[in-house]
Amino acid sequence: MLFLNKDNFQRDVFLGLLVWLILIMFYFIFPDPGIHDIIQKVFILGLFAMSLNILIGYLGLIAFGHAAFFASGAYTLGLFLQSDFVSNLASFSIPVAMLLAVLVSGILATLIGAICIRLKDIYFSFLTLAFQMLIYSIILALVNITGGDQGLMGGFPKPPFLGINLGKPFDFYAFTIFISIITIVILRQIIESPFGYGLRMIRDNSERPAALGFSNQKHKLIAFIIAGSIAGLAGSLQALLDVGAYPEWAFWSKSAEPLFMILLGGMHSFLGPLMGALIFEILNDFVTANTRYYGLVLGLVILCFVLGLKKGLLDWILIKFNRK
Amino acid sequence: MLKLDKLSKSFGGILATDDVSLELKPNSINAVIGPNGAGKTTLFNLITGKISLDKGQIFIGNKNITNLTESEITHLGVARAFQITNIFPTLSVKDSIKVALLAKQHGLNNMWNRFKTHSINNKAEIIAKLSGLTKSYDTISSELSHGDQKLLDIALALALKPKVLLLDEPTAGMGPEERWKMIDRIQKLWKKTKMTVLFIEHDMDIVFDTAQNIYVLQQGSIIAEGTPKEIKNNKKVIEAYLGGGKK
Repeated sequence: MLFLNKDNFQRDVFLGLLVWLILIMFYFIFPDPGIHDIIQKVFILGLFAMSLNILIGYLGLIAFGHAAFFASGAYTLGLFLQSDFVSNLASFSIPVAMLLAVLVSGILATLIGAICIRLKDIYFSFLTLAFQMLIYSIILALVNITGGDQGLMGGFPKPPFLGINLGKPFDFYAFTIFISIITIVILRQIIESPFGYGLRMIRDNSERPAALGFSNQKHKLIAFIIAGSIAGLAGSLQALLDVGAYPEWAFWSKSAEPLFMILLGGMHSFLGPLMGALIFEILNDFVTANTRYYGLVLGLVILCFVLGLKKGLLDWILIKFNRK
Repeated sequence: MLKLDKLSKSFGGILATDDVSLELKPNSINAVIGPNGAGKTTLFNLITGKISLDKGQIFIGNKNITNLTESEITHLGVARAFQITNIFPTLSVKDSIKVALLAKQHGLNNMWNRFKTHSINNKAEIIAKLSGLTKSYDTISSELSHGDQKLLDIALALALKPKVLLLDEPTAGMGPEERWKMIDRIQKLWKKTKMTVLFIEHDMDIVFDTAQNIYVLQQGSIIAEGTPKEIKNNKKVIEAYLGGGKK
């Protein structure tokens, strides 16, 4: 087990698969569907938050419009599975739909990113927000295609593929977590690669790279596209879970959710946003079961983190145990 | 090595650089002096393409680099360190130097390798040793002493293997003892690497002791140039600059 000490791709793959197996055992040890639901959602939302943290934590750009890509992934998958392609593709429908969701979100991120990354700070943030609201308006306006404010109605089929039937709770659980973990392992590779350190360099000092013969813009755009694509993947998983897609997923408040998760879990540790998603989901589950004032409780908890710990939980733990 | 031909630049009607021409010999060490606001940093910004020229031409060797971008000029062999330390606060010394080395060889697009175990590590150690940063190799940049931060700024420039190194007040904000240490380090670097060095400096003792050739800037134009001996005895300089301080 010597290779476990080395921070490399093989180790991450190994650890990822190990966590996946543990969570599968967990499924059988705790048969409560409520718990399974929370775990699935933690991974989907965690993926969403981690994709945003590429921009916030590693690039230092606070994007307010990240839900645009979440929604585009969800709607792409939903619309594709509702279309006639399904009968032709049959068992390949879901993999193709998911690939398409990532692709469409990636293309959308290329278009929006190419414009937004020219700006800095608050101007960048608000332009991403403006594009998101544009996407939101388009979803509302195209009633014939998207179902407008009702969302994508009527559900869609989930044809089994490779022996995986996403209609079955266990298959869905195992599949969602598997896809999420693989994506997280790939993301880790990107973040720990020279490319990832290029992001940190821009975050730390955006003026200096030019004097090192480096151009920030291309790097920023690629990061934006990766972030958008992963958000699209998260959106497509969410659409599979809910068998639908809703315009609220493109509303600005949906972009605030991953921001909260990043604040709760920590933006300076790789898995911080995932931990944030866990806190967010547990809070959501616990608080909504006991009170109507969910927003108030969430706000108070975030205040405790921001004013008390002054950082996200995982950041705090890692500093406490001196692992940074 | 570096040739400036009649550079001019004005900001809102004020001439910051006025018809400046000079030519640095290969493997020479040169200083730019002049009072505050004489246009020294502006001159560096023009050479490195950070700001655009109004008039004039710039050559590296035989290559015309006029109007190229800052990044292109850097790749052609001009590197600089900054007056106000310009580093990457959260990266360690090691990681900062590695990032600079990779930037030079277009290696920062690589997503397939791990940065931490990248083969560039050996080169980074050499640069750190050359810059006197071996002891603080694993320290986070923001936690370095002021002097070491200045050294790191220079190390980042060195990582680019420049033909021409521009140093904007490498001793700014240092005590007298620290200044001489810094200059000593720069002289050693210059001798080892055979670069052409141009530095801005306020301490006259350092300038006269170190530079082979001195350029005196005043209100954007060069009013004198020559060896330390020539500059010391130049009437214009004494009147405009050296004498002014003693009155």
